[in-house]
Amino acid sequence: MKTGKTVNLGTPVPNADKPEATDAMGRPATHRKSEVRLGREIQARIGQQLRAMYDEVVKEGVPQHISELVRRLSDNDDEAA
Amino acid sequence: MKLDPAIRDQVLATVPSLRAFAISLSGNVDRADDLVQETLLRALAHIDSFEPGTNMPAWLFTILRNLFRSEYRKRRREIEDADGRYADTLKSQPEQTGRVEFSEFRVALAKLPSDQREALILVGASGFSYEDAAAICGCAVGTIKSRVNRARTRLAHLLSIDSVDDFGPDRATRAVLAGGGRS
Repeated sequence: MKTGKTVNLGTPVPNADKPEATDAMGRPATHRKSEVRLGREIQARIGQQLRAMYDEVVKEGVPQHISELVRRLSDNDDEAA
Repeated sequence: MKLDPAIRDQVLATVPSLRAFAISLSGNVDRADDLVQETLLRALAHIDSFEPGTNMPAWLFTILRNLFRSEYRKRRREIEDADGRYADTLKSQPEQTGRVEFSEFRVALAKLPSDQREALILVGASGFSYEDAAAICGCAVGTIKSRVNRARTRLAHLLSIDSVDDFGPDRATRAVLAGGGRS
């Protein structure tokens, strides 16, 4: 089937197949195979650190002024807020 | 207004996570507590618009995020410096953790664009589904996925550049787990 010169048989279109290593901001443009394994370990750790950081605050529970506020508003028969 | 105690308990149960989210948005504990308080005032004033049985955390997070965003729109100058201020705030609170790995992580997180940081936290820390996170942020599920992926890639890059060894599998993990395990 002839489709003329628009067919691209193995000739790489610039930037289509081959990712740039990094963009102007230094961000990796795509995952490269060599980075994937390292990436997985780091991703697991990113997840752990993220949750640990977040849970630090969660463990503080409900500050007293907040629980008082909620109870006051929810027991109020008037238009509270 | 007399609030159904079950609803009130759902609200209270969401507060710790809501607060953690507020801190991650504003980078400032006092401001976060103001945001949480304002969120609860609004939520309880409009509690009729909450459908019992639906997702209370997602409802409250949405209100808080909208409040935070509209406050930012009012204060343009702060928008421009939002990420810088966030990073500075973290620097001024070193007592939150003495762990090097942890503070490196905070600094890296602070370097993310705010929409990516927000998406990553909602999905990776708050535990929302992509769908809930998209609803909270008022954007498409695909947008959230892409923000989360970009955030993770960028963080991995920031954290691996200078310290593949320092950031080795066990040391950092143990430190974090030890730090997260007790308080």
